[in-house]
Amino acid sequence: MTFIQCRGLTREYRKGDNLIKPLDGLDLDVPRGDLLALMGPSGSGKTTLLNLIAGIDSPTAGTLTIDGVDIGELSRRKLAAWRSAHVGYVFQLYNLVPVLTAYENVELPLLLHKLPRRQRHARVAQALERVGIADRADHFPRQLSGGQEQRVAIARAIVTDPDIIVADEPTGDLDKASAHAVMLLLQSLNSELGKTIIMVTHDPHTTDYAKRTLHLDKGRLAEAGTLQTETDHDRPTEQAQTSPRAARPLEGARP
Amino acid sequence: MKLLRCFPYVSKQVVRHRVRSLLTVVGIAIAMFLFTAVQAMNRGVTEATSAKANDTTLVVYRADRYCPATSRLPQDYQSRIERVEGVTAAIPIKVVVSNCRASLDVVTFRGVPKDDFIDERRGELDVVAGSLDDWKRRTDAALVGETLANRRGLKPGQSFTAAGITAYVAAVLRSDDAQDQNVAYTSLEFVQLAGRDDLGVVTQFNVKVADAALLEPVAKQIDAIFDAAQEPTATFTEQAFIGRVADDIVELVGFARWLGLGCLAAVLALVANSIVLGVQSRVSEHAVLQTLGYPGPLIAALIVAEGVALALTGGLLGAAAAIAVGRYGSFAFSVEGTSIPIVADPALLLTGLLVCGVIGVLAGLVPALQASRREIAECFRAA
Repeated sequence: MTFIQCRGLTREYRKGDNLIKPLDGLDLDVPRGDLLALMGPSGSGKTTLLNLIAGIDSPTAGTLTIDGVDIGELSRRKLAAWRSAHVGYVFQLYNLVPVLTAYENVELPLLLHKLPRRQRHARVAQALERVGIADRADHFPRQLSGGQEQRVAIARAIVTDPDIIVADEPTGDLDKASAHAVMLLLQSLNSELGKTIIMVTHDPHTTDYAKRTLHLDKGRLAEAGTLQTETDHDRPTEQAQTSPRAARPLEGARP
Repeated sequence: MKLLRCFPYVSKQVVRHRVRSLLTVVGIAIAMFLFTAVQAMNRGVTEATSAKANDTTLVVYRADRYCPATSRLPQDYQSRIERVEGVTAAIPIKVVVSNCRASLDVVTFRGVPKDDFIDERRGELDVVAGSLDDWKRRTDAALVGETLANRRGLKPGQSFTAAGITAYVAAVLRSDDAQDQNVAYTSLEFVQLAGRDDLGVVTQFNVKVADAALLEPVAKQIDAIFDAAQEPTATFTEQAFIGRVADDIVELVGFARWLGLGCLAAVLALVANSIVLGVQSRVSEHAVLQTLGYPGPLIAALIVAEGVALALTGGLLGAAAAIAVGRYGSFAFSVEGTSIPIVADPALLLTGLLVCGVIGVLAGLVPALQASRREIAECFRAA
């Protein structure tokens, strides 16, 4: 069943005198519980699509329906409330608040919810436990490694129990071991908690953890035949040819 | 409610950005110290020079004289003044000051007929230390105002010397009248004898009239009686007299009001600078908050709350310090034998906090609105 549905999704903005169109009439269906990797060259519209799905950007044209809600039609205030209830966002550079401890960073989204202090504490502790960083709860971001920071960011993203987790190059700033650990964590959130996860990545190895991989180019899903050429400069050709996930990139796309 | 739940975020932003907050708070505290000091001076001038509905005192001074040393009126004017209709009492006062010029520490002796003085001021003076009987008994005894006693550290039983007069502190008095608070009352003869040829000569008469409505006609009548005398008089209400004598100080304090406004402008600039820099350096952070679901108005409220918290902290420290210094120092401007106290009233703390609260809101408003209206994706693109 389609959970996220994009129809003719277009986003354009002005940069000086130039009209930039990072997304151009994109159609896409994502079922609930998917773990989808979005790949493509820089400027292909991956992050723009992710931002639209996360509700932090609005489409210029087309529709984006998530669980039956056309989020393009929501007012700023309603969209903020919707994000708070339904979306967890994991950034490439973690984006933790530097003056808050790991615990306080994870608590931030819960401050918007009417929860008794004890329940709030329990949920933060649970989220930190889940990502394996409970022993660093009192540490400030500057006292954590990149991998630990990203775990805190993931805890912050899941603490409100959202339906969707969007991750913008979640391993982009991590070493191989940390990247592996973070990806296993996201995979477990998908398989054990049933979270729908959509991530943008430039790292072909990361796609191994995804259920599906889609390639974007020039604001649209790339055609199967053009895939190798379009992503040659981004990933090794061998990987594109041999990855079973890369071999079926357009599965979720509408014909 | 959301703002209250999120307030710990605001307090942590203030507390954990230590250097920024400390510098801002210290700046605000200094400016608010000055502002509160100016307010205290201003209040003193207002209290000393504004007529109250129940004021019934006139001051009869030598015409065209402003200094106690040159205002020399015959003591026998007393009986003629007391015969004026509406006058209930006339007390001759000989004023001797340690310094004729404006100063923060002048000792003013007021020689008065002790019995008349006590009869006249019954119920207005509160003896807080020492004994009134002691004052009546000893010729060199002084009844010292509380402000003067605090400033000079005078206690009953001690002697002190000023303006060439050595007096014994018999009691310390408290009064609502600023003039009483900052003088030493002694016997009239004692002060007259301290001068070479001052017996029978006084500086002024303090005249009580039966009703406030009679102040003006009685003043005119007194001046008319002595118009042709060798020593003509000029009669004013006590407040008008102080305003006239302490004209320079009143003018200076009036000018100081501009300094007070300048201090407020400095507070505004400091808080605004701190908030603007904070908001500029936290564009991504605010975008993250928005991503987490924080609505724009809440982010604006958090930014404003940060400005208010900084302003209130600095305001509290500065105003409290000014009040503490004012009360501990018991300062009063004295000129020509009159006193204008610096009224470091704790109520000024409330005024200071209120002003700081408003300034905090004003300083944070524009950057807060800008931050709350930013497009999230734009912020991340720009970061």
